[in-house]
Amino acid sequence: MATPSTMVSAPAGASPADDISPALLPVVALLSSTLTYLTNWFNSIPGSPILLRYIRSSYQNDPWRSLLEVLLVAFALRTLLARRTRGEGEGKGLRLSEKEIDELVDDWQPVPLVGPMSDLEKRTLESVPVIYGQNGAHARVAPGGKPVLNLAVYDWLGFVENDEIKNVAIDTLHEYGVGSCGPMGFYGTIDVHTTFEQDVAEFLNVESAIIYAQGFSAVSSAIPAFAKRGDIIVADRGVNFAIHKGLQLARCTVRWYAHGDMKDLERVLASVDREIRRKGGRLTRRFIVTEGIFENDGMMSDLPKICELKKKYKYRLVLDESMSFGMVGAHGRGLTEHYGVPAEEVEILIGSMANALGAGGGFCAGSQHVTAHQRINSGASVFSAAIPAMHATVSSAAVKMMQSQPYLLTNLRANVLTFRQQLVKLEPSPNLIAPSSPNGGAETPFTNNKDALISIPSHPDSGLIHIFLVNPPDTLEEEENVLQEIVDECLANGVIITRARRLRGQESVEPEPSLKVCVSAMFSRKETEKAGKTLRDAIVKVCSKRR
Amino acid sequence: MPRTRSSKASSSASSVTGVPAASAPRNNLASQAGGSATARSTLLGVITRPRHSDAAISYDSSPHHPVDDEVSDQSTISSYASSIGTVNGSPPSDDELERMYKGYLEKPNVLTQSSYKHSEFGHCNNPNYRYTSQYNPAEPVTPEAEPLPPYYVLLTTYMSYTLLILLGHIRDFFGKKLYPSYYEHLMPRDGYAALNSDFDSFYIRRLKVRLDDCFSRPVTGVPGRTIMLLDRYTNDCRESFHLSGTQTRALNVSSYNYLGFASSTGGCADAVEETLKRYGPAGAATRHDAGTLDLHNQAEKLTARFVGSEAAMIVSMGFATNSTNIPALVEKGCLVISDEFNHASIRFGVRLSGASVRTFKHNDVHALEDLLRDCIAQGQPRTHRPWKKIVVIVEGLFSMEGTMVNLPAVIELKRRYKFYLYVDEAHSIGALGPNGRGVCDYFGVDPREIDILMGTFTKSFGAAGGYICGTKDLIDGLKVRSHAFCYAEAMSPPVLTQIIASMAAIMGIAPPLATPVDLDEDVSDSVSIWSRHQSFGPAPRQELPVWFSLPPNMANGTEGRERLRRLAFNSRYLSSGLRKLGFIVYGHRDSPIIPLLLYNPGKMGMFSRMMLNRLGPDKTPIAVVIVAYPATPLITSRVRFCLSASHTKTDIDLLLRACDEVGDILNLKFSSEGPHWPVDKVIASAEELVATTDLDLVQ
Repeated sequence: MATPSTMVSAPAGASPADDISPALLPVVALLSSTLTYLTNWFNSIPGSPILLRYIRSSYQNDPWRSLLEVLLVAFALRTLLARRTRGEGEGKGLRLSEKEIDELVDDWQPVPLVGPMSDLEKRTLESVPVIYGQNGAHARVAPGGKPVLNLAVYDWLGFVENDEIKNVAIDTLHEYGVGSCGPMGFYGTIDVHTTFEQDVAEFLNVESAIIYAQGFSAVSSAIPAFAKRGDIIVADRGVNFAIHKGLQLARCTVRWYAHGDMKDLERVLASVDREIRRKGGRLTRRFIVTEGIFENDGMMSDLPKICELKKKYKYRLVLDESMSFGMVGAHGRGLTEHYGVPAEEVEILIGSMANALGAGGGFCAGSQHVTAHQRINSGASVFSAAIPAMHATVSSAAVKMMQSQPYLLTNLRANVLTFRQQLVKLEPSPNLIAPSSPNGGAETPFTNNKDALISIPSHPDSGLIHIFLVNPPDTLEEEENVLQEIVDECLANGVIITRARRLRGQESVEPEPSLKVCVSAMFSRKETEKAGKTLRDAIVKVCSKRR
Repeated sequence: MPRTRSSKASSSASSVTGVPAASAPRNNLASQAGGSATARSTLLGVITRPRHSDAAISYDSSPHHPVDDEVSDQSTISSYASSIGTVNGSPPSDDELERMYKGYLEKPNVLTQSSYKHSEFGHCNNPNYRYTSQYNPAEPVTPEAEPLPPYYVLLTTYMSYTLLILLGHIRDFFGKKLYPSYYEHLMPRDGYAALNSDFDSFYIRRLKVRLDDCFSRPVTGVPGRTIMLLDRYTNDCRESFHLSGTQTRALNVSSYNYLGFASSTGGCADAVEETLKRYGPAGAATRHDAGTLDLHNQAEKLTARFVGSEAAMIVSMGFATNSTNIPALVEKGCLVISDEFNHASIRFGVRLSGASVRTFKHNDVHALEDLLRDCIAQGQPRTHRPWKKIVVIVEGLFSMEGTMVNLPAVIELKRRYKFYLYVDEAHSIGALGPNGRGVCDYFGVDPREIDILMGTFTKSFGAAGGYICGTKDLIDGLKVRSHAFCYAEAMSPPVLTQIIASMAAIMGIAPPLATPVDLDEDVSDSVSIWSRHQSFGPAPRQELPVWFSLPPNMANGTEGRERLRRLAFNSRYLSSGLRKLGFIVYGHRDSPIIPLLLYNPGKMGMFSRMMLNRLGPDKTPIAVVIVAYPATPLITSRVRFCLSASHTKTDIDLLLRACDEVGDILNLKFSSEGPHWPVDKVIASAEELVATTDLDLVQ
């Protein structure tokens, strides 16, 4: 700050040249001319007197302030010139000579690209059944073999085998071909996509919907489209893998509540609330994330309670209905219909077109703003090719059939009940038998069954049934082996079920091993009984062998 | 040999159909060529062969198949007069142009016997309009310097953005006072934070909205050579659109339909129909549950054979192929080195994996080497522990740049630095290489030298989904650890069949082409230790579904080959033509993705609209894609053409005319290289432009 003031006084300072030895005169002359030149130049800048006056007054009044300002300017310049992103390991590295680097490069040995497979993984891969020909409730596991009952596909309403739907697909093929050959933004918005979006929005009675090319990616991409760093998500501890991935991508603050426990949810919401109040700060987006029917155990969320809590604490609700859409509710509208909650109450409702609808892809329903936002900000929507036209028309047809043929849903519930009754003897207590069933508690002679082998936490209406062993072996691997034996035993007797496959080591919350059974509306009562009985016998056989 | 063949085709053609225009294009070429007529006459021999005549790669140049000439493409029988040329040697007048192009999108101007609709797959039978996509060392993979526009263009671009941002803020400032209801959902309200704040959505609301009529245009029907647009209008400055009920058929240079397999008729569609009857439309479960069909295994085997790897796995969504498998490959303590222009799905996957990530300058092998040395020497941040593994992820063909990875150079680096190489062939598979097997085929590299080959089926195969190829150990490991296999839906049977059918058509099915080929003949300059013929052989019949059949010209591989060579010609022709017209074009000339640089944001919307509502005499609408920030760097806004084997040379001529017309109006011809040619000269010299290794040599 001192420079400009000396600059101004420079002409005066140059005058006492007499005191200086003559040898230095040229130097002084040069200095003074330079100073004069600089002064003139400075004065010629528009606004310079104002700057000068400002600097003078600030210096005279408070030299500390001037110093502070200089430091501030320097800091600002440094920040501006510094690299935008701080790459990992940049800057602070050791200085090494080229020779040393060469040696290090020679010495470095990477680990193999994929580690060796564990025995369990090998077994998992070997035990994947291959279906020959038409998949669905009845499928062949060998070429030309006899059809077996298939309880391992999410085909709740049997649309996969439906001939009417096949014809829809063939008609679409002859008009649209197969692939869409482009993302939605670039000529991939085919009219049938828009039609399905409207159909499903009308079906759920919400404003709009957006279509995704894969159910899994719909979930893991829709969440980070809304939740960003600094936002708060309160999630059920039992949510599926896709949601976990979505939460990971969102990089927001995630708080968990105990699986299905509404009291715990309220506790967490209240504690977050307290925390926010204590800390203050700006208002951030807050979401509750949960599933309709949980993919990991078939339990159902208490939607009315969640809606009540979310309103109380001003949260938005993200509900993954990948399993429950087309499975529960009088017409298969999912949890909202089951509980009679308007679907508009759920801000972001995600569903799958691959499970119940028998096509492929996923969708997200909500208000106009919710879907418009995803069209531009959701990675799996923007950067992926649009779904084949065929999947959209098939889904539209399936939605129409759900509306017009509610007996499919009734069949499904009846089948689930029949199936669960076959297993009830093996369960510890019968309190989980469907309360909605006509003869609800009448045929439940067992209480606190001592011979219980399995427990089924799944909701009585859920077509997705997870079966857990009551007295599991000590290690996870052994438990999986026992379950696999049950699966193999069932297959030998003409029933395909599956062990819930997990990505051990990659899951955020490791689920307990379980058997997964998917009941379809396409089974007759006799077939369902047979399937249930086969499974029961298999469980008894394998478990008794263990003892 | 090709020369004799073309003349034979020509004579038989005119005798069959009797279309008088049959030999017109060649005459025109000769008459327009002026001084270099002799040079051109030899071109016929050059063009139909790969550039190095000693590298006998493509099947057609092999002397073992004399029958090929007779069978050929079934549509060759008719004529190759599909090109609309000039009649008297002078550039066509406006009237002539109008007459030529009238209704030509739907009606072929030649009689053909083809199972495809002309509007989906154009009939172009002139064997001169073919080329082989193959690496030529005489042409650099990456240009020494990116072409730059004049400074005033850069300056006005920055000024435009500044102005737009300023105007946007002014509009927001007054808008919030005058129309608070419009901003309601962007503001905190009622104790809820906005789902999308006004600041976060500024770019979309105030900049992108000005171009919204150029994005997400609704379409119907097949995205083939042409596309049917549903016309729409807006009453509120592009905030919302309404369908007007009318439709416009436009030339489609936007869809990723490289080999033209997006089709509602023909061999592939018939096979898909059969599948729908046999298998139904859905996969119904995850692959690990009962979602694995015999079709999945067959498609995986065929894919592995197509790509030239040991094993393959198929995922039902292309984006998810990257985003769900990269986390199964790398974890914390691993390093991913990624090209700066890599696709979002790769970034998605790497973020999920928890691995460290570093990026290097686009396609800069030296930058990659420096980074590798630094990373290996320094080890993990802070602890300096050595990295567990380093995976370098590059794309074969970059979707916004049209550039190709310098694969031979990267493989050299791989040998020295021991990293694992992951090549995303989303765009290059099917679209590059003499056999259509992607960048490996193009450069003559053994695919087994690349650890992970990823690609998608959306683009060249007209299907959906993606694959990963590699060693059997890798694929088995991935299958048990991949998110997609465990939790996502399996690929649906119709899509699988589309993949099998289109791949089999490119490869040819074994019996007709199984004749053992002399290995001595394979003297390609590749680094491959394996013969190309072994790597990229035909599809064995026994690995395909029993009920599966293709029409003869697809099964013997001739149609697939035709498609590859048409695409190669179209790509190179348009890329060269645009450069000669004076536009700045990025990318390799063999790339079917051709970005034309626009720079100024205002020109983007204008370009797209002017291409759709043509001013030129022919009035044929053209559907183009414009790309801007954030998909590209801020200043290099561009229009991106994606060519297809389904385009005829006439289509490319038309596109060049249209670009020329719009380019003059919008002042887009910035290129400082060489004299700018008139469009008629470019069209007349098409074959020469394609054949040359250096555009500057063509005068």
